[in-house]
Formats: sequence, C-alpha cells, structure tokens
Amino acid sequence: MAGKSGRTIAATPQTGLKQKLLSLEGALVIIFILINVFGRVLSPNYNLSNVMRESPRYLAEIFMLFGMGFILVLGDIDISVGSIVCLSATIGCLTSNAGLPMGLAILITLLTGLCCGMINGFIATRFTELPTMIVTLGTQIIFRGIAEVSLGSGGSASLKDYEGIGILRAKVGPIPLAFFLIIICAVIFVIVLSRTTFGRHLYAIGSSKTAAQYAGVEVQKIRFFCFTLIGFLAGICGLFILASTYGANTTTGQGFEMEVIAMCVFGGIATTGGKGNLVGAFIASLVIVCLRIALGQINMNTQLILVIIGAMLIISVLVPSFRQRFLTLKKK
Amino acid sequence: MEKKSLWKKITASREASLVIVLIVMLIVISIFSPSFLSPTNLGQIFRNNTLTMLMALGMLCVMLTAGIDISITSTLAFAGMGIGLLQKYDVIHNTLLLFIIGALIGLACGFLNGLIIAKGKIAPIICTMGFMYIWRGMAYVISNNNWASGQDVSGFSDFGKDGSPGPYIILVIAYVVFFIVMKWTKFGRSIYAVGSNPEAAQISGIKVDRVMIAVYTIMGLLSGLAGVLSVSIYASAQPNMQYGKEMDVIAACVIGGVSMSGGRGSVVGTFLGALIISIIAKALPLVGIDAIAQNLIKGVIIVFVVILNVITQRTMDRQNLLRREM
Amino acid sequence: MAEDLILELKGITKIFPGVKALDNVQFQLRRGEIHALMGENGAGKSTFIKVITGVHAAEEGHMYLNGQEVHFKGTQDAGAAGIAAVYQIPTSYMELTVTENIFIGHEIMKNGIIQWREMNKKAEELLARLHANFKVTEEVGALTIAQQQMVEIAKALSTDAKIIILDEPTAALTANESEELYRIVDELHEQGVSVIFISHRMEDMYRLAQRVTVFRDSRYIDTFDVDKITDKDLIKAMVGREITDMYPKPKVQIGQEIFKIENFSRLGYFKDVSLSVRAGEIVGLTGLVGAGRTETFQCVCGIEKPDSGRVFMNGKEVRIRKPKDAMEAGIILLPEDRRRQGLIMSWSLCDNVTLPIIEKLSKNNFIDHKKEYELSRNYLESVDTKAVSIFDKASTLSGGNQQKVVVAKALAQDHMKVVVMDEPTKGVDVGAKAEIYGIMGELAQKGYGIILISSEMPEILGMSDRIYVMCQGRVTGCLDREEVTQEKILELAMDQSGREVS
Repeated sequence: MAGKSGRTIAATPQTGLKQKLLSLEGALVIIFILINVFGRVLSPNYNLSNVMRESPRYLAEIFMLFGMGFILVLGDIDISVGSIVCLSATIGCLTSNAGLPMGLAILITLLTGLCCGMINGFIATRFTELPTMIVTLGTQIIFRGIAEVSLGSGGSASLKDYEGIGILRAKVGPIPLAFFLIIICAVIFVIVLSRTTFGRHLYAIGSSKTAAQYAGVEVQKIRFFCFTLIGFLAGICGLFILASTYGANTTTGQGFEMEVIAMCVFGGIATTGGKGNLVGAFIASLVIVCLRIALGQINMNTQLILVIIGAMLIISVLVPSFRQRFLTLKKK
Repeated sequence: MEKKSLWKKITASREASLVIVLIVMLIVISIFSPSFLSPTNLGQIFRNNTLTMLMALGMLCVMLTAGIDISITSTLAFAGMGIGLLQKYDVIHNTLLLFIIGALIGLACGFLNGLIIAKGKIAPIICTMGFMYIWRGMAYVISNNNWASGQDVSGFSDFGKDGSPGPYIILVIAYVVFFIVMKWTKFGRSIYAVGSNPEAAQISGIKVDRVMIAVYTIMGLLSGLAGVLSVSIYASAQPNMQYGKEMDVIAACVIGGVSMSGGRGSVVGTFLGALIISIIAKALPLVGIDAIAQNLIKGVIIVFVVILNVITQRTMDRQNLLRREM
Repeated sequence: MAEDLILELKGITKIFPGVKALDNVQFQLRRGEIHALMGENGAGKSTFIKVITGVHAAEEGHMYLNGQEVHFKGTQDAGAAGIAAVYQIPTSYMELTVTENIFIGHEIMKNGIIQWREMNKKAEELLARLHANFKVTEEVGALTIAQQQMVEIAKALSTDAKIIILDEPTAALTANESEELYRIVDELHEQGVSVIFISHRMEDMYRLAQRVTVFRDSRYIDTFDVDKITDKDLIKAMVGREITDMYPKPKVQIGQEIFKIENFSRLGYFKDVSLSVRAGEIVGLTGLVGAGRTETFQCVCGIEKPDSGRVFMNGKEVRIRKPKDAMEAGIILLPEDRRRQGLIMSWSLCDNVTLPIIEKLSKNNFIDHKKEYELSRNYLESVDTKAVSIFDKASTLSGGNQQKVVVAKALAQDHMKVVVMDEPTKGVDVGAKAEIYGIMGELAQKGYGIILISSEMPEILGMSDRIYVMCQGRVTGCLDREEVTQEKILELAMDQSGREVS
C-alpha cells in the first residue's frame, strides 16, 4: 500500500552494517587464535588439558558476564557484583559449616546472590533519579560489609565439607562442569539478547528510556529483573569460587566487577547503553582467560596481565572512535 | 518575594545540612567517648585520611565535568612504588625531589587519561578503568615482586610520620588553593560550566577539551602526590597499596553533595563529606560497634544519604506543587 | 553605499561533511532595524547564524561589519565586535546562578580574581532593564523557560552588543510571555540595537520586524519589506510552491461517543478534567503552555500516575496503570517531544515502528524479521515518509518526516481507536505541516477519534470539530466548530483571577 505520492521505501537489510558488526567479533576470534598459537609455541605446557585444569578459577567470573551484558545494554551499571560473589560464597560456606546439607547450602548461596540483586534492583527502580553507579557503589560496600561481619575477626572461613561441593568440580573427560554450564548460558543469553522481544526491549531501554516507556515497554520491571538476574549469576559465580577455593575471605571477588565490565567493553558493549552484543563479549572473555593461563605457563610476571587487559580495553574503544573520525574526514 | 525561613535555607544548602550532620555526630560520639575531640585524636583522623581527602579534591573536579576517575589508586600505587624503588635502590633520597618526581608521574598518568577522554571521546569510566589496570599492573611489574620497606624509606618517612606536620600542611594548602580556584577564578568556573552544559560552554568560548584534559591532569597530579604521601605515612611501598580505595574517594564526594551528572558540588561539601566518612570509621569502636562492621555502616550511610537526597528533593517538588494548587 | 548597513554578508558558503549547509548566501542588516530570517527547517538559518557569531567558519564569502571586512575565528571575536546571540538550544547552565550565566566567558576580573559583588550588581542592573522579577543569586534551573530566556538576553546585553541575534525566541513561550519578549525586543530597538531573529511564527515577524529575509534549501531567496508582503507570498518563498489548502478537513459522519475521561486530577498539574470524543471526530484541546493539557494525557495514557480519574472506552470503564494498558485499550499517544519521547533517534525507522507491537510480530518470543520489515514498510509508505530505506536512522529525517514515523508507529497498533496528538506540528516546517493535517483528516474519515493538543490557534481552529480549552489545570469551556472564534478561546484560556495575565 504505497502512499499517495507512490514513493516506495526499500526494505531489504543492508549487509554492510552487518559486516561492520562482524568485524569486531572477527578480530577477537583472530586474537583468540593467535594467543593459543603463541602460547603453544612459547610453552610446551600450554595444551588443552593444562588449560582445562587451570581454567576453573577463571571461568567462574564469566557467568556474570552475561548479566553484565544485559545491564550495560540497558544503560545501567552494576559494580556491586564482586561483593555479591564474596557475600554469597561466605554465606554458602558458613551455612554448610553450620551443619546444613550441601544441597541446601548451595541453594542458600544462590538465593543470597538473588536477594542482593533484588535489593539493587529495588533501589534502582524505586529511586530512578539515582545513577546506578552510585546505588551499586553503596551496596558494594554494604554487601562486602555483611560478609566481613559474618566472617568475624578472622576474615576468612574454610569449607569443612569437601565432599559435598565436589559435584561442582566434576569433569566430563578433561572438560570441567563449569565450562559446559558457561557454554549453555552463552547460547541462551546470546539468543535472548539478539533474537527475542525481550532483547529488543533491552536495547530500546538502553537507547532511550523515555521513548521505550512511551512505547509501552515496561522499563522498571525489566531493569529490576536484570539486576536480580545478575545478582543470581553472581551467586553462581560465588558458588564456583567456593568450590574451587574451598572457602571464602573478605577479599573474595574483589575487582571482579571491573574485570567483567572490561570483558564486556572489550567485546564491543558500550557503557552508554543500547549497543553491542554478547557474542563479542563472550569471545573477549575467552581471550582474557586464555591469555591469563598462557602468561602463567610461560613464566611471565602474572601481573603483566593487568597491563595487557588495560591496554586492550583502551585500544578496543579508541580504534572504533578514530575509525569513525577517519571515515568522516575522508567524506569531507 | 517571600522570605525563606532559616530552616529552608539550611535544608536547601548542602553544606549547611552536612555541618549539622557533623555536629550531631560529634555530640553523640563525645557522649560515648569524651576524649574523641582531643587534638591528638582529631589529628589522627586527618592523618589516616589524608589520601582520601587529597584525592577527593581532584575527584570533585572530575565529577563536576560529569566524569569519573577510577584509576586514581592505581596511579597512586604506580607513583608511590616508583619513588619507593628510587629509594630502595639508593638513587634519590631527597624528600623534595621525590615529591616532585611522584607528582610528575601522577601528572603524566592523569594527562594521558584526559587526552584520551577529551580527544578520543571515550567514556571516562572505560578509559580510567583501562588505566586502572595498566598502572596497577605497572606498579607490580616495576616492583618485580619486591616492596620498599620501612628501612628503605627511613629518612623519607619522617615527613609523614606520626606527629609530623607534613601531611597536614599539604592538605591545608591543597584545600585553600582549591577553594580559591574553584570559586574565584575563571578556570574554576569553566569547570562548572563544562559540567553543567558542555555545548553552551563551547559556544561561550570555553575550550572544553582543554578543561577536560586539565581536570584529569589535576586528578593525576593529586593521585601522584597521594602516592608519595602514602609511602611517607605508612613507611612502605607495595604494588597493591590502597587497592579499591578509589570508591572511598567517590563516596566522600557523593556524600559531600557532588552530583554525578556534573555541574554541582563544592570544595567545602567535599571536605565535609570526606570528614564525615573519616569520623565514622574512627568513631565506630568508640560507640561500641565492632570495627569489623565499619564498611557495613559506611555503605549503609552512603545509601541512606543518597536516598534521603532523593526523598528530600521529591518532598520539595511536591510542596512546590501544593503551592501551585488550583 | 546609500544604505547604512551595520552588517553585510556576501557569497557565504559553508560545507559540512557531505552537505552544503549554505550555498552562496547573502544578507544585509541595516543599523537599528529588526530583521526577521525565515525559512523551513533545514534551510540553513541556524548555520548562518553560527557563521555570523564565529561558531562555524565559512568556506567561502565575505563579512562586513560597519563596512569593514571581518574574520571571526571564534565566538569571542564576534562578542568583542558587538555581536551576541541567543540560541535555540538552551545554552543556560541550569546548576549555576543567574549572575554566573550572564557573565560566563567574560567575567569581571581583578588580578585574576572574579569580582562577584560587582558582577551581581551589574547583573541586577541588566535584569532591571528587562523588568525581570527574579534574583540574580537564583539557580537558573529553578526559573521558568521565559525567565531563562530573559537571562539569555541579559547575557547578550552584558557584552554591550550592537547586534543581537535571537534564534526562535518564542518557540517555548506562552502567548503572554511572547508579548513580554516583544516588549523587550521593542525596547532594545529603541535603544539602537540591531536585531536579527529567526522564527516560524508569522505573528512574530509581523509584530516586530521591518524586513524579512527568506532562505530555502541552503540558498538565499529574497528580502522583503514586512509591510508589503502577504502570508501567501511568504509561504511561497519559503516552501517553493503554493499551498492551496493548509487545513484539508474532510466532511466526516461523526458517530457514537467512543472515549471519555472523567474527573482526572493530579496535584499541582490539573484538576477535575473530563472530556469525551466521538468516532470520526477531531477534538481540539488548547490553552496556554502549562495549562495541564500534556500532563492530563500523560496520565490518561499511563505514563504518569493521576491522583484520580476514570477512563471509558465505548462506555466501558478501563483501568490504566501503565502505558501498555492504554495501548491495549486502543488509546495511542503521539507525544509532544518526538525526539525524546516519540522515537529512538539512534534506531532505524523499522525498529521504531515495530517497537510497541514487537510481541505480536514474534512467535514464542522470537522476532519474525520478515514480517517486521514488511509491516513497517507498509505503514511508513502509507503515511508517505520521505526515506530511502526502512533501515535509515530516525535521526537522519527532518522533523516532519520524524512525525510521520511516529504516526506510522501509532497506525501499526491495529486496535487503535483514539489517537492523542500532542503538538503534532511543533518544529515541523510548513510543507510537512499540511501533510500531517492531511493524515489527520484521513484518520478521522476512517472513524478514529482524534484529540489534537495544540497551542497553535490556526491549526486548532482549522482542524477541530469541537474545542476544549484548559486554563490553570481546569477545563474552562468546550466550543463547537460553528461557534468558535479566536477571541472566545483566548478568553477561556486566560485566567479570570488575573494571576497570570498582567
């Protein structure tokens, strides 16, 4: 039903845009391959079984990546997740030590994360005037504070029940359980964000909260859900941390929030909301995990990883910015 | 024009309400522990929080431009580790020279931040997050798993040792300078203008990019200074020093009424915010709360203050509406 | 030269990446005159102003001030030469005080120290000159839009400007406030200041200007004496063609009442608002800015929470707690601020159109893209959107076309029964305005109920079957098309108690 003037509008998707989007993921895949090749060349110890053995202590964080992706796409931020990891691991450890069966302790760990997320979500949606950076800055200190109080003067607790938690350390062949769970999560979350109405709503909110609200998107409900979700994922992370370290202390999970945000940004998700996707972020997280293990294996100063992560982060945001400017210059 | 009542004036001014909170706090604490207000104790409070208070000034400037800098404690560690090592390997022992070197390291770090944020148009949180990793990592790398001990920095630590006026002098100078600059100079006001409305500032002929770079450079300079002071006060330099404390600095500003969306905040408010946080930390054991609960209480207070702010604002808006009642 | 020209520009060309924003443009300003600059959106007026004030440097052309050629490298050069501008986008600093806003960039200094006391005094003098009634120590964010505009004008005056440029000064003002502005401009004129102003309102031009220059498509068209020109000529110069029927209102058989609201109240905004709409009827809702029209319908449509109020569709009460409820009931709001509320500017047209109905275009929550593209294209074409592809970003369209996308977005919700159009032609140029009125007429013909919220008297008079007038949050009257006159509306729109009207 063309208009009065008979003017028509094209409705075939342009592939050019898609190619542009692909390029970041493509670059990440190449980096991923390069790291693995160089790791293999530089150190004979860098092989699949070693990587798999080393990976669990780095993998736990990746659970939160998916939630953080949602939160950042919404245009929000959550810097309390590191503390939620600490608190849920602490509570899990203490309840198990208090004699509760492991299954129940695991459930409580997850619920702790969920509740923390709900608290964040409640404050963020009830007091929309506040930037979520401030809200989660406050709760970051509170959640870790609760963990500190629960842990008492020693500042740490170790799990007595080694056996029960063992199920989380289970392996299928050389591949740890956590890895499988992460792959499952990745598939689900990537699809939800890129193909479903829910994902579309997330982008709408991140691009313009007001316009989304006027279009009938339930902005606050969705924000609340996402904060709860990332809390729950932080609970899962806490659980796996507990399983791999057999305990918790006051510094558990410290700095995780920034690492997860860094992975997302490195993978092309903008902190301003409405941009990026989880495919890039997920590959970016694998890049960082491999880099960490590789550096460990070739006996480099492991803290050098910090410099590399930082540099990659800045380069990954500077390149698109400058390319954009270069393109406009060329047009001129 | 109707005259505003005293009460309204106080609630409308952030600084005034903070002073009241502070006085109430001090009264309550003094009841529990009369010795709290002794000069030694107050001196302790300032000494223990010199770093936060110093960096809060820079954070004020950064937040006024609607930015944030989370790389500050990494810069601090890098600069501090740098001058620590210079002493450990007996390169330099001159206190003044070490201060200058530390400050310059910080300045360079901050300048890089500013350059990338202003010219690269990168979100401040991302850029400073990158440098948070880089400088912290560099601190580790240059330290090469060593640290500078009390012996290494023995002469230097006299400057910041208990009872030495050094840290106080720096703090007082910094606050006086900032108080004047922020209120009475063109540069100070242009920071407010850039944060309040960057497009308008551009049209008014303010060089927005330069102000942004300057603001982060100042922040870096203060972080570098804080790094040197940290080595002096705690008589050691480790690569992990003050890890995670950037949030304390931001919290001090937030409590002091500095808006995260830019354009609003003052030196006095920042000072009061930092002071309140410091006093809470010191006073908890005195009022019978376990020191372990320090962070918990601090967090609760931050959340409480920001929520209270929102509620006050909403009540004020509602009262304005009531007055418009038709 | 015979004429006493204070400012003259010749052959100005300004190129932005990809577009020629100004193409060989000329302009002459006589000393002490008020000169209107008119043209459709995108004609290059704002860019031209920015060339004069040194924000942009022109690629080609010459500029003469008092007969001397000048080159401005920045706004400060223009300021020093006595040219000041009050821009369309708010350039106020909301968090700072009035004094500071006035003097920013040219503070009074002594030995590098700002002289606050002196600045406050000067600012008071300036405000007194404008008969402003607020304090210089107040935060600008706490002032009304009109007061903020006064601060902007004071800012321009503070530089001792000889030429003041006003970019759409009345766009955000109520009728009273506009009067106030006219008075101020007249006074400036008497004080010997030359004024250039840009406006979409014909009224502004007739009231103030001696001459008017028209731009179209980045080119200079002509300069006219105001007392020798008619509306028709001017529109022709601006649009490039004649618009025969601005308000194409079709004859429509008006049906049953389909929509009614009762006793809507919200503290401080509006009280006891009741009104009804019949099928095929265009109901106008007018009043001064701030009378509570927009706020009422924000509450009706679930954006804000009213304190009380009931909504009936076809006689049955519907409960609306959130925007979704209103949409499901068939009440669609076309919001006032389409750039912020109506559209997601960084999104494609397609995504914008399908956002409210994306659930219906999905199977098990998975989006069916083929269906989505097809449907959005159909609706965008049905309202005659000027776009190349449905994947164009909303931000690339002109105001009028953006408004059409908003309409397409509403049409796509196929159970729509009532459309609430809040200032649908605000910031839309003349040509596109007529098209939007056309669409409005078509909708009425199809039997939809239409509520047209507008401050523009001609469009209210031209399009409405019935007109509700609001004043200070209350409905003060309802007039039929036959009996309505501009005077009657104004009488109802003005506050009887005389609080607002001075």
